[in-house]
Amino acid sequence: MGVMRIGHVDLRVLDIDEALNHYVNILGMIETDRDAAGNVYLKGWDEWDQYSLILNPSDRAGMNSIAYKVEKDSDLDDFEKRIADWGIAVENVPAGTLHNCGRAIRFDLPSGHEMYLFAEKKFVGKSVGAINPDPWPEDIKGAGVHWLDHALLMCELNPEKGINKVEETTRFLREVLDFYLAEQVTAGPNGEIQAATWLFRTTTPHDIALVGGPRPGLHHLAFFLDEWNDVLKAADTMGRKGVKIDVTPQRHGITRGCTIYFFDPSGNRNETFAGLGYLAQPDMPPITWTEDQLWRGIFYHVGEEAGSFTSVYT
Amino acid sequence: MDTTGATARPRFQVTIEDSGNRFACAEGLPVLKAMTALGGGGIPSGCHGGGCGVCKVRVLEGAYRTAAMSRDHVSPEEEAGGVALACRLYPASDIRLRVLGRMRKAVAARRYGFV
Ligand code: FES
Ligand SMILES: [Fe+2]
Repeated sequence: MGVMRIGHVDLRVLDIDEALNHYVNILGMIETDRDAAGNVYLKGWDEWDQYSLILNPSDRAGMNSIAYKVEKDSDLDDFEKRIADWGIAVENVPAGTLHNCGRAIRFDLPSGHEMYLFAEKKFVGKSVGAINPDPWPEDIKGAGVHWLDHALLMCELNPEKGINKVEETTRFLREVLDFYLAEQVTAGPNGEIQAATWLFRTTTPHDIALVGGPRPGLHHLAFFLDEWNDVLKAADTMGRKGVKIDVTPQRHGITRGCTIYFFDPSGNRNETFAGLGYLAQPDMPPITWTEDQLWRGIFYHVGEEAGSFTSVYT
Repeated sequence: MDTTGATARPRFQVTIEDSGNRFACAEGLPVLKAMTALGGGGIPSGCHGGGCGVCKVRVLEGAYRTAAMSRDHVSPEEEAGGVALACRLYPASDIRLRVLGRMRKAVAARRYGFV
């Protein structure tokens, strides 16, 4: 019961055709629906719900909202009460507010990001089906991402003004939505500032991550690949197609994932993330990265900032 | 494959007023891509998608067109006044520009991890 996994991200894009070419032909997602407002709905081949990504034509980039799926309809009532008791305004929205989903609850995280919880979404099934399936479908395009894996949200961090939305949002996710802390970065003179966190509900090290920055935003959306060789091939596809790569294939210390950071045609950062990291469990002691080693946590090999990790996001 | 599209097309000179740097930009190529493909600098380089705003410039002289740019970073008034994102800026003649965008890179040491 409770939150199962990331459900979908509603993403603003500047040019819907360019965005579709990117998410379908380069990442290998599948278009499953469109609505009258021009939004396009996509899923990975290994996902069974109708969509995990909404492309919303807009005059700006960035994330409109993020949604997580809960196991039971009654979880929505429980969470609605717990969120309100914590002091955050929460709204019960009817079925269909989220495209082809049942009723949902909507609220803002302490960081300001809009979040939905829902229990039901239209089922379409995996591309390989559920009866004697092949291990992967024949008609995969580009990187052939399996599923939307996680998102990293930038949260305002300004200790001199007493603002730490990483710490506040982490506390909310743990105390109210029952997320578990897998890893954290601590900073400041005595390591008293929680500067970044990775939290989970599944059995992988993160289903959401929070990093402190000057303003809130979307740092990246990550899509799952099996293993390192898939990451290399994904980067080959990006090279061939002229995708703007931010950080070439390498290893995260935090979560142990194999990664590429790159940008969609509207400048939203994406990641292809391979490997399940390690078995994350509620009783696993959280891992701490100290400030002097934080870049080894992010990019394990070089141990330095690479690309535009802290300076560019939407 | 030629991802720069630089072969056999008209080429325009781009001059960055701040530094005096000059480089060639083939027709149909955004200014930022032309600059980074030649290993040049001067304009901050980020998402290359018109979304992050770090590559903001003001065109002082010359003809150009732009592709969609995030309204979070270029207002309609700015756009009318020659402000553009270099990653969405396609010269149609030689152009001269001034850099407005800033990369929020650590100039001084960061005090709290990422900030
Ligand atoms: S590099 Fe991001 S808007 Fe141009
Ligand atoms: Fe990630």
